[in-house]
Amino acid sequence: MTGNLSTFSGSMQSPTGAVMVIGGGISGMQSALDLANAGIKVYLVESSPAIGGKMAQLDKTFPTNDCSMCIVSPKLVEVGRHKNIELFTHSEVKELTGNAGSFTATIVRHARYVDVGACTGCGLCEFVCPVTQLSYFPEVPAEGEKKSRAKAKVKRVIKGPGLPQPTSAHKWTFTVDDEACAMCGMCHRACLHGAISWEKKQKAVIDQAKCTGCGACLVACPEKFLAIKVADAPDLEKSIGAAVYARSVSLKKEFAGPEAQDCIRCGLCAIACEKVMNIGALKMVEEGIEAGVDICQVCGACVSLCPVNYLSIDQVTSRTPRPLLNRFNEGLNGRKPVNIHYPQAVPRVPVIDEKSCVQLNSGACGTCATICGVGAIHYDHREVETTVDIGSVIFSPGIEVFDARVRGEFGYGLYKNVLTSIEFERLLSASGPTSGTVARPGDGKHPQKIAWIQCVGSRDHSCDRDYCSSVCCMYATKEAFIAREHDSAIEPTIFYIDMRSFGKNFDQYVNRAKEHKVRYVRAMVSRVFEDPLTGDLELRYVDESGKRQREVFDMVVLSVGIQVSQSTKKLARKLDIALDRYGFAVTDCYQPLATSRPGIFVSGAAGGPKDIPETVCEASAAAEAASASLAEARGSLITIDALPPERTPGPDDELRIGVFICHCGTNIASVVDVDAVTAYARTLPGVVYAEHPLYTCSQDSQERMREIIGEHRLNRVVTSACSPTTHEPLFQSTLQQAGLNKYFFDMANIRDQCSWVHPNDPDLATEKAKRLTRMAVANATAGVPLDELEFAVDARLLIVGGGVAGMTAAVEAARQGFGVYLVEREAQLGGQLLNLQRSVDGRKFSDFLQTLTEKIAADERIRVFTSSEVVEQSGFVGSFQTDIVMPSGATRTLKHGAILVATGAEEYRPEIHGLGTLGHVMTQTDFGAVLENGSLDTRHHPSVVMLQCAGSRDEEHLAYCSRVCCNHAVKNGLRFKEMFPKARVDVLYRDMRCYGLGELDYRAARQAGINFIRFDPETNPVTINAGEAGIDITVTDPSIRLPVRLQPDLLVLSTGMKSRDTEELASMLRVPRNKAGFFIEAHAKLRPVDLPSEGLFMAGTAHGPKSSTETIAQAQAAVARVATLLSKKSLKMSGIVSRVDPTNCAVCLTCVRACPYGVPFINDQHSAEINPALCQGCGICVAECPAKTITMGRYDDRNIRAKIESYSAS
Amino acid sequence: MLPCTGRIDESLLLKAFENGADGVMVIGCLEGDCHYISGNIRARARVERVYAILERIKIGPNRIRMYNLSAGEGSKFAAFANEFVNQIREVGPSPINLVRGATKTEAVTAKETT
Repeated sequence: MTGNLSTFSGSMQSPTGAVMVIGGGISGMQSALDLANAGIKVYLVESSPAIGGKMAQLDKTFPTNDCSMCIVSPKLVEVGRHKNIELFTHSEVKELTGNAGSFTATIVRHARYVDVGACTGCGLCEFVCPVTQLSYFPEVPAEGEKKSRAKAKVKRVIKGPGLPQPTSAHKWTFTVDDEACAMCGMCHRACLHGAISWEKKQKAVIDQAKCTGCGACLVACPEKFLAIKVADAPDLEKSIGAAVYARSVSLKKEFAGPEAQDCIRCGLCAIACEKVMNIGALKMVEEGIEAGVDICQVCGACVSLCPVNYLSIDQVTSRTPRPLLNRFNEGLNGRKPVNIHYPQAVPRVPVIDEKSCVQLNSGACGTCATICGVGAIHYDHREVETTVDIGSVIFSPGIEVFDARVRGEFGYGLYKNVLTSIEFERLLSASGPTSGTVARPGDGKHPQKIAWIQCVGSRDHSCDRDYCSSVCCMYATKEAFIAREHDSAIEPTIFYIDMRSFGKNFDQYVNRAKEHKVRYVRAMVSRVFEDPLTGDLELRYVDESGKRQREVFDMVVLSVGIQVSQSTKKLARKLDIALDRYGFAVTDCYQPLATSRPGIFVSGAAGGPKDIPETVCEASAAAEAASASLAEARGSLITIDALPPERTPGPDDELRIGVFICHCGTNIASVVDVDAVTAYARTLPGVVYAEHPLYTCSQDSQERMREIIGEHRLNRVVTSACSPTTHEPLFQSTLQQAGLNKYFFDMANIRDQCSWVHPNDPDLATEKAKRLTRMAVANATAGVPLDELEFAVDARLLIVGGGVAGMTAAVEAARQGFGVYLVEREAQLGGQLLNLQRSVDGRKFSDFLQTLTEKIAADERIRVFTSSEVVEQSGFVGSFQTDIVMPSGATRTLKHGAILVATGAEEYRPEIHGLGTLGHVMTQTDFGAVLENGSLDTRHHPSVVMLQCAGSRDEEHLAYCSRVCCNHAVKNGLRFKEMFPKARVDVLYRDMRCYGLGELDYRAARQAGINFIRFDPETNPVTINAGEAGIDITVTDPSIRLPVRLQPDLLVLSTGMKSRDTEELASMLRVPRNKAGFFIEAHAKLRPVDLPSEGLFMAGTAHGPKSSTETIAQAQAAVARVATLLSKKSLKMSGIVSRVDPTNCAVCLTCVRACPYGVPFINDQHSAEINPALCQGCGICVAECPAKTITMGRYDDRNIRAKIESYSAS
Repeated sequence: MLPCTGRIDESLLLKAFENGADGVMVIGCLEGDCHYISGNIRARARVERVYAILERIKIGPNRIRMYNLSAGEGSKFAAFANEFVNQIREVGPSPINLVRGATKTEAVTAKETT
C-alpha cells in the first residue's frame, strides 16, 4: 500500500501537513473531516456555490429510507464550522505543481459578488430580485459614447377581459418639483385619470384627489428633468427597486389570487421597466398596458412584480423568453440571478449569476445591494487566485447523471412526463419544486401508474457506457417505495435486466418493496410513445414469456446511470492522473485509492460507480492514504483555540442574565415584534441586560456579545434566535471566549418554531416568542456549570483479526505513527486470502500477502499475537484494556486507545449437490485452486457448470446475497476459458450482479463464449442429479424458452460467504451483530466503519461480504477513523452525562437494566456508578431511577421543571 | 427540548398538567429509529401509564399522546400538532384549570431533538 508514496519517503524534505480535497460532496466532506480531525489542515475546493454534492439532492436513502438531507446536514454544518477546513466554494483548481509531500496548488475563487464573511444567508436579495429570465441585454455604449436608449418600433397592447380598474391601495404620493419641471407636458399626456393640469409654458400640478398613484407621470417625465417626486413609498430611501418590491408585496397580499386578474393600474410594471431596468418598454394606455415588444430585454421583472398576474412573459416581448432554471432542482422550477444554491446550503450565501444579473450586464437595477442589511453585495468582485502548499491531494469530484436524450427512444426532453431519476428525486423531496407532491410536469396531474426503466446509460455498449452504475436498481426501488408512501394510489413498475441488490440488507429492501406493491418486470423496454392529447405514455416491451406487450403509464422515470463529466476529465488532465476509457480514475486493486500520480488519491464515484456508504468508506480511506506519509507533519498547520480561564461562580453570586433577541434580518423581525420581546425580557427575574441585534450570529454581534458579557458581568446568556442545532455551538464558544462555562446558556428558537410557522399571526407569534424566551431564561437560571471530562488517549490500536483487513490496517496505522497490537486466532496471518488465488487483474494473492507480512515483521510499532484470542475487554474510548490468551496459555493485558474488529468471514460450505463428498463438485474457491495447481486433465477440454446462489439468497441457507460470487464466477470462468478455449462453461444464475466495472468482465465472459442461463428457484428451478457416475442438470433456458440438459465434468458451486463465530466477541465488546452474524455499523450510510460504541471500528468481511479490494479500502478507512481519536493527546467528553448520587442509591439495578449501552454498574462502594466517558447522554436512566438519584447536566429534572413552571407563569 | 423522549418521566408529564396544561404531546423518533436505541419505546410506555393515571383521577381521557416523527417531516409535525390541538379543543379545558378558573387551551409541547 505504500508503493504510491515511496518516491516521497526517501527524500529528506519534511512533508506539508495539509491536504487539498477536490469536491465537496459527501466524499470530499468525509475526507476533509477525517483529515482535519486528525490534525491535518484541509483546503476543500468545490466548484458549485455550496458543498453537499449529489447526496444533498436526494430525498431519501436506501436501504433505511433515512431522509438524505437530515443525515447530511450535520456534516455540512460540521465542515462549514471546522477551524481547520478552509472552504473554497464556487472555485476551481487551476494548477498543481510539485511532488507528493510538497505540492503547490493554485485555486481560483470565481467572483461570487456576495461577501461570504458578511452575508448572513437571510435570502432577502433573492426575494427582492425581480429577474426571472436570461435577458437580451441592450448593448452597453462604449466609453465616452452618449448613452441612448432604443425606442420601441413594434408595440402591442395587452388587454384584459375588462377595463383596468385603478386601485389606490398602498399608493405612493406623486408631486411635481417646481424647480425641475420643464413644462413639457409629458406627464399631463401620460396621466389617464385627468389628475394633472398643465398648460403650455406652465408647470404641471397634480390633483391629489384624482391621483390613483399609478406612477404614469413618473414614467413619462423625461430623464433629463426628473421633475416628478415620490413620497410615502416605503423603502424608497434604499432604491426605487426596493420600493417597487415593497409595494408589490403589499398589493399581492391584498389582491393576489390563484387566477390571473384584471389590471389594477398599480403601474409597478412600467415603473420597474423604466426606472429600475432602464428600458422603458412598458406604458399604461387606456385599455391596458402597451408593450414595446422589440425593445423588451425579457428580464421578467414586470411579470414577477405584477401583483395580480395580469402580465405574462410571452405577451410583453416578441423574443423567445429564456427562463432561469434552478440547477439544484434539476431545472424543474425557476430561480433568480441571485440564488442560494439550496435552503440548507453551506455556506448559505448566494451567488450572483454573471450571465443573467441585470446590474452586472447593463448597469441598471442593483436592487439587491440596496436592500442587503449587512452590505454584503459587491458588484465589483473579481475572481481571486490563491496558492496553497499541500502534501497530498484527494480527488473526489463526483459524477453527473447520464444525458438521457442520447437514448432518444425513451423520449426524454420531448415528452414532458418522461423524467430522469434525479428529477424524480427532487419531486419527492419536501424542499423540492413541488414540496414533495408527485405531480406530472406536463399538466400537474397526480400520476397513478409510474414506470421506471433501468439501465438507461448503463450496461449499454451502444452509447459507450458498458459499465453498471451500481446504484440504479436500489434507487429505483427506493423511489418507487417512497412514491407509494407519498401517495398510496401510485402503482409503480420497475423494468429491469438483472436486479442488482448486492449490498448489505439490499435484498430485504427489495422484498419489502415487493410487499409494498412495487411491481418488478424483467424486460427491456424498446420504446416509449406519448399520447399527445393526454400526455400518457405507452411502453413497448417483450415479456418473459416472449410476448410483445404494450402498456400505458402516466409517468416514466428513466433510471439514468452515472458518468464522469467533461469538466472532471479536464481537471484530471490538469492534475496529470490517468483515467480509463470512461473517465474513471485508474487505480490498483491493492491500492484502491492511489491514482497514477503519487500523492494524489481518488475517492468516491470518480474512481468507479458506487453508492453512499462505499463512497463514505473510500473517503475515509483516501484521507488515510493521503495523510499516512504526512504523519510527521501532523498538527503543524492547524489552529487550536486558546480559551481564557473560566470564571467560577460563587454560590451567593446574584443572577445576571443577558438576553439577545435576534431579528435574523427580517426573518424573525417581520413577524415577531422583537422590540416588545426585548422589553418583556428585561422584566424577567434575573435579567440585567437585553438587546435585539439584527443578526446575533454575525461576526461583529458575537464580538459585541463577548464584550457585553464582560461589561455587564453576565453569568447566564440566553439567545432567542434560530435553531440550536446549527447555532448553539457558535454561541457557546463565544461564552467560553468570555470566560463563562458554556452550559450557562440556553437558546429559544423563535425563527423556525415561531416566525416561520406563524407568519400570518404576528401578535400571537410575539406572545409565543415571549413565552419561549421566558422558558429559556428559566432554564438558564436553573443551569449549573458542567465540567467536560478530559482524559489522556493511549495512542495504540488493537486489531482483532489478522486477515487482509487486519494486516492492511496494522501497516497503515503504524505508518500513521500509532502502536498496533494485531491479534489473530490462527497460527498464521492472512485469513481468507490464504485460500484465494488471484486478484481481479490476475496477480497472485500469495505475493501480496508476502509483502504485507514482511512489512508487518519489519515495523517495530506492530506487535503480532498469533494463535491468540481476546478473552476480556474493559475501559472506554482512548483508554481500553484487553486481555488476550496466548498459545502458552498465559494471559496478557494490552492497553490501547481504540479497537478495530477485523474478524473476517469464511466461505460457506453447505452439503448440497454432493459438495464435500464428490470430487467433481466444488466451490468457486476450490475451483480457483484447481485452476492454479494445474490438476485439471488437460488432454480433453472439461466442461463446467457453475451454479450461482448455491446457498445464498436462500432462507434455508444464507438469506442474503454474498456480493462477490458473480464476479468470482466470471473471473474463474474467464481464466478457465483462457486455459481451455474450447471447453464449455455454463453459468446458471438468478441475477448476474457484476456491479460497477465488474460488468466489463461479465461482458468479456459472454464474448469469450461462456453461456449464461437464468433460473429462478420458484418459477424455473434447476434440477441437479450429482453422483459418482456424473452430473446431470436440467433447466429451462429463458432465452430460447426450451429445456436444456447439461452433463458437465465439473459442477462449481458459488456458495457465498458466511460470518465467523463472533458471538462471544460481540458480547464482550457490547457491539451488535445482525441476524446473519455480521457486525452492525453505527450508521448504514454515513458511518460504515464505525461500530456503535465510541472508539470501536470494523473493517473487511466482518461487516459483510465484500471483495479484497473493498476490504483493503475499508481497512484504510477504519484507520482514518482511528486516527481522528489516536492523533489527539486527550479527548473531551460532553458535559451532559448522567451522574449517580450514591447517598440515595438503593442498588435496585433499574439503571443497569435500562441503559441501552450497558454503562451503569455497581461499584465496590455498593452504589450504581456511571462512567462519564461511556455515557451517551440520553437520560433514560435519569427518568427510570425510582430513587431519583441520577442527575443529568442541563436536562435535569430541575431544568425541565423550571421550564414547565415558566410555561404557564405569565 | 430533550436529548431523547426516554429522558421524560411520569412526574414531569404530570407536572405539566399540574401547571395548567390541557394536553401534552410527546414527540419522539420513529419506532425502531431511536437515536438512543430504545428511548422512544420507554417513553411510549410512560405516556401510556400517565394516560391511565389521568383517566383514573378523572382528568383524562385523550389529554396525552405520543407521536413519532423523523427529523425531516416538518409538515407531518404541523399536521400532528393541529390534530392534537383539535382533539384537546374537543375535550375542553383541563379540570385543573376549571377549578382554578383558567381556560387556557394550549398544549405544552415536549419536542425531542436528535
